[in-house]
Amino acid sequence: MKRHGLTITGAISAVTLVLTAILGIAITPPDVTQKEYARFLYLHPPMAWVAYLAFGVAALSSILYLWPRTRRPFFDYLALASVESGVLFTGLVLATGSMWAEPVWGTYWVWDARLTATALMFVMFLGYLAIRRMGGTAEQIARRGAIVALISSINVPIVHFSVLWWNTLHQGPSVLTPGLSSQGVHGAMAWTMLLSFVAFTTLFVWMILRRIRLEQLRSGVGVGVLDAAIAARVAEGDAVEVSA
Amino acid sequence: MTVSAPTPRVPKRHRVRNVSALAVICGAVVFLLVQGISGSLNFYETVGEALQHRGELKTTTFRLEGVVEPGTIVATDKGARFTLVEGKHRIAVVNVGTPPQLFQGNIPVVVSGHFTTAPGNHFLSNQILVKHSSSYVADHPNRVTAKDGTVR
Repeated sequence: MKRHGLTITGAISAVTLVLTAILGIAITPPDVTQKEYARFLYLHPPMAWVAYLAFGVAALSSILYLWPRTRRPFFDYLALASVESGVLFTGLVLATGSMWAEPVWGTYWVWDARLTATALMFVMFLGYLAIRRMGGTAEQIARRGAIVALISSINVPIVHFSVLWWNTLHQGPSVLTPGLSSQGVHGAMAWTMLLSFVAFTTLFVWMILRRIRLEQLRSGVGVGVLDAAIAARVAEGDAVEVSA
Repeated sequence: MTVSAPTPRVPKRHRVRNVSALAVICGAVVFLLVQGISGSLNFYETVGEALQHRGELKTTTFRLEGVVEPGTIVATDKGARFTLVEGKHRIAVVNVGTPPQLFQGNIPVVVSGHFTTAPGNHFLSNQILVKHSSSYVADHPNRVTAKDGTVR
């Protein structure tokens, strides 16, 4: 059953990503002001949404891990998988944002509240990944990670609402507006953007399901055993090179 | 009964690398916090705000936001001259440098520069940033511009 869920999620993600690419590149019209650069609409906002979602899931699963009654290794794996995906998508958000900004704004980067807060979110969750590599027992690593994830997730609503709270060069939200309307995006462009949200969300679900499975296998083998085996194989290779 | 995994020993070489990476990340967090608090929260002054604070601003460099008044853009040897408006307020801008490719009339922009003390009291800028709205309107040959400047 689990296997089927993974396959179905992967298939939905693949089909919707292909459809988004076809609609986004070949079918939807250019924007009246931005022309062809408007096609970033089908990449940048859905990836930002997935980053928010990933860090939100990480925060929730961290709470569930820290709460003694609900403490399960699964919630630690879920937080780790979500943060890894979130960091990847935030990196892509920053990259695609810069690629769009140069021709549209006239610069790759500005230190406005939205961009600065997003960069801070990216770096803080990188810190989460770095702190998990500092050593310790699986429980110490999980508890440490959960605390850092909770602290870092405070920044997520700040990133989203920064364009409403302060003067920014970055435009206001196109979809997650206060009234939850997307009237700023017209016709086929709106439908394609909606499809891109489905595509990237299912991709995120597929990625974390795969990653949780990997972490479960890894913990089953024993943390460090796999690394030790790899290190032993590398040492064997070095020894062969020296003797040759 | 659960079998706990053995405590992994992090090799010293890896520990130094991990601590260094963490130190770099902590430094970046501090830098971004300082950057955010010191200069990012209020990215620009609107035309109305700038005129209201004209006495305090003097020739201080700041960012000014307003809509480019249609029909006021004049290309010059060194850049462009145009007027920024916000409601009834307006400021004449002289820009030195190449404007972005999407620069045109009736769009919001942010210009970076300062007021001059020269006659005309205009705003001298060296950078134009186009401030795009969150509206996305399909471009097609039958689209028309209404009298009020909106595209339909």
